[in-house]
Amino acid sequence: MKRYNLLLQNIPDFVKHLQAQGEVLAPHTKGDNSFSFDKVTDANNVILDYNRTLQSIRKFFLPPTERLLNYSLTENTFTKVEIENNQRIFLGVHSYDMQAVLKLDFNFSDRTPEVNYLKRRENCTFIGVSFEPDDFHFSRSVGITVEATEGFDIFLNRHENGYEVQVLTERGEGIIKGFNALENAPELAETNRQFKNKIKFNHNRLPEVMEQSWKSPVWDEVAKRCVGCGTCNLVCPTCYCFNVVDNVDLSLKDGSRDRHWDGCMLNSFAAVAGGENFRETLASRQRHRIYRKFKYITDKTGDPWCVGCGRCAAYCTADISIVEIINQLSDEFEQNYLRKSAAPAEQII
Amino acid sequence: MTTQTAPKTKIKIAYFDFTSCEGCQLNKLNLENHILDLLEHVEIVEFREAMDDKADSYDVAFIEGSISTPTCVERIHDIRRRAKILVALGSCASIGGINAMKNLQPIEDVREIVYGEDKYLFPTLPAMPLSAIVKVDYEIHGCPMSIPEFLQVFKALAMGKAPIKPDSPVCVECKLRENECLFDRGMVCLGPITRSGCDAICPSFGQFCTGCRGLVPNPNKNAMLDILTDHGLSLQEAEKRLLLFNSYQHPDTFK
Repeated sequence: MKRYNLLLQNIPDFVKHLQAQGEVLAPHTKGDNSFSFDKVTDANNVILDYNRTLQSIRKFFLPPTERLLNYSLTENTFTKVEIENNQRIFLGVHSYDMQAVLKLDFNFSDRTPEVNYLKRRENCTFIGVSFEPDDFHFSRSVGITVEATEGFDIFLNRHENGYEVQVLTERGEGIIKGFNALENAPELAETNRQFKNKIKFNHNRLPEVMEQSWKSPVWDEVAKRCVGCGTCNLVCPTCYCFNVVDNVDLSLKDGSRDRHWDGCMLNSFAAVAGGENFRETLASRQRHRIYRKFKYITDKTGDPWCVGCGRCAAYCTADISIVEIINQLSDEFEQNYLRKSAAPAEQII
Repeated sequence: MTTQTAPKTKIKIAYFDFTSCEGCQLNKLNLENHILDLLEHVEIVEFREAMDDKADSYDVAFIEGSISTPTCVERIHDIRRRAKILVALGSCASIGGINAMKNLQPIEDVREIVYGEDKYLFPTLPAMPLSAIVKVDYEIHGCPMSIPEFLQVFKALAMGKAPIKPDSPVCVECKLRENECLFDRGMVCLGPITRSGCDAICPSFGQFCTGCRGLVPNPNKNAMLDILTDHGLSLQEAEKRLLLFNSYQHPDTFK
C-alpha cells in the first residue's frame, strides 16, 4: 500500500484531477445544515468534513424511483430500460456507507441476481474519508471502525493539515496517477476517535438476544412513541425493499412498470390481496425492522446488517434510537437469561 | 400481460360541487396539457362550472365539497342514485376538511355568527364528508385535490381497474426526494402522520405540511402530539394544528 499526504489547500485540484477521469460524486451541503451526495460541478463545493449525508450512496445503485419496463398494451410488447454504467468516482464515502454497499452487493447477488443494481455497480471507484463520530454514529459497535478500508480504492485519513492518502488497489493507483501535488506521507499520531454511542453487548451476541426478545415489552413501548412514518427504513443504507407499480399513460395504450423504495415500517407493507395485513401493529413492524438488521440476515451471513451510521435515530422525529432499543433488549436478556452473579456484560471499545 | 384496448364507448362523467371553494374543479380545468387526451375517453355530461347541460345518469360522478345543509343531503342521495361510480374530490369531500372546524362549536352559535338575524332562512348541519351520507367508491385527497392523483384514478377507472390508494405518510415522499427534514430546520410539520400522494410538494419548497390530505390509516395521534410538543408547540397549539383539516375525525366534533 502506498501512502501520501494531501494538504487541505490541494483538495480542489485533487477533485479536478478526478473529474478529468469520470463523473465525480461527492458530499455537498444541502438545506440549512445537512449534506447530500451529488454530482460535482464545482470542485470548491465538495465537503469532506461532514457527519452524515441525508441518503447514503445506495441511491445511485438503487434509485428512489426507477423505470423498469416500457410496454404497449395494444401491441402486447415490452422493452427493458437500458441501464447506464459509465465511470463513476465516489469521493468522500464513510466506512459504514461503504460496508453498506458491500452488504447490498450480497443481497442483490444472492440467489436471483438483481441486474439493474449490479449493472450500476460496475465501473465504480470508491474514495473513502475518515469522520469524527457524533452522538448518533455507532459503527464501532457493529464492527466497523472509522478507518476501515474494505471496499475502498483510496482512503483519506484526516489529520491536522490534510489527509493521509492510502492507495489500496490498482484502480486507486490508476486514478491517482498524474496528480503531482501529493507529498510524502506524514507520520500520523495515533488517532483517538471515540464513539459516544455504543451498543452494550458485542454484536456477535445480539442474535442470541434477539432469539429471546420476540415477546419483549420493549416493542410496545417503542410503538407508543412511533408514528410509523417509515423514515428509519428510507434513510437506512442497508434497507433495500421496493414496491413495483404499473403506470399507464393517458392514451391507455402505453405504459411503464416502475419501482420505488418501500419500507417495512409502513402500514400496508405487509398487506396482501384479500385485505390481510401480516404486521398490522407498529410494535410488530418495529420488531421486524430490528430483526432484519440483527437476526434474519445475520443468521444467514453471520454479520449484523446494520452499519451504525445512526441515520435512523438522527432523522427520527420521535427520537427513537436503535441503540437504545438494542440496549434495552440486552438489559432484559441479561436479567432474564444470564445468571445474576455473572460478570457484567463485556464492554467493547 | 393481457391485451387491453381503449373503451369503445366514451365514459359519461359529471362534476358536482357542494360546500367548498370550488378550487378542486378549477384545478381540473387547469389540466391543460392533459385535457385533450382526457376528452378522448370521456363525455362530460354535467359540469356546472364549465357548461349548462344536465344528465340523467353518469358512469362516474366526481364530487367536490362537504355536506353542510339539508339540501346537500337530498342532492347527494340523488347523485348517488344516478352514478355508477362516485368519487370524492379534495379534502372537503373526502374528509370534511376545513369546513368541519365549525363542528367544534355549538351549531346554533355558528349559524348566528355567520347569518346574524337572518339565520332562520339558512338551515345548517355539521359539515361532513360525502361518506357520512352515501357510499363513496374512491377518494382523491388534497386541498386542492392533486392532479396526478386525479389522473391516476381516472386512468384506473377508464381501464376498469381499482385505483391505488396512497396510504403512506408524506415523510416517505420527502425521503425519496432527499429533502432536509423541516423539523431539522426548526419547523413543525404534519408530514409524519399525513397521507402522501402530493409528492411532498409543500415541504419540498420549504413550507411545513398542514395535513390537507388527511391522516394516514391507523394514525398514532398521541405519538404525533408528543413529537409536536417536543418540538416547541404547546399541547393546545399541537391539537389545533391537527384539527385544521381533521376536525370531522376529532372525537369532540358534533356529528
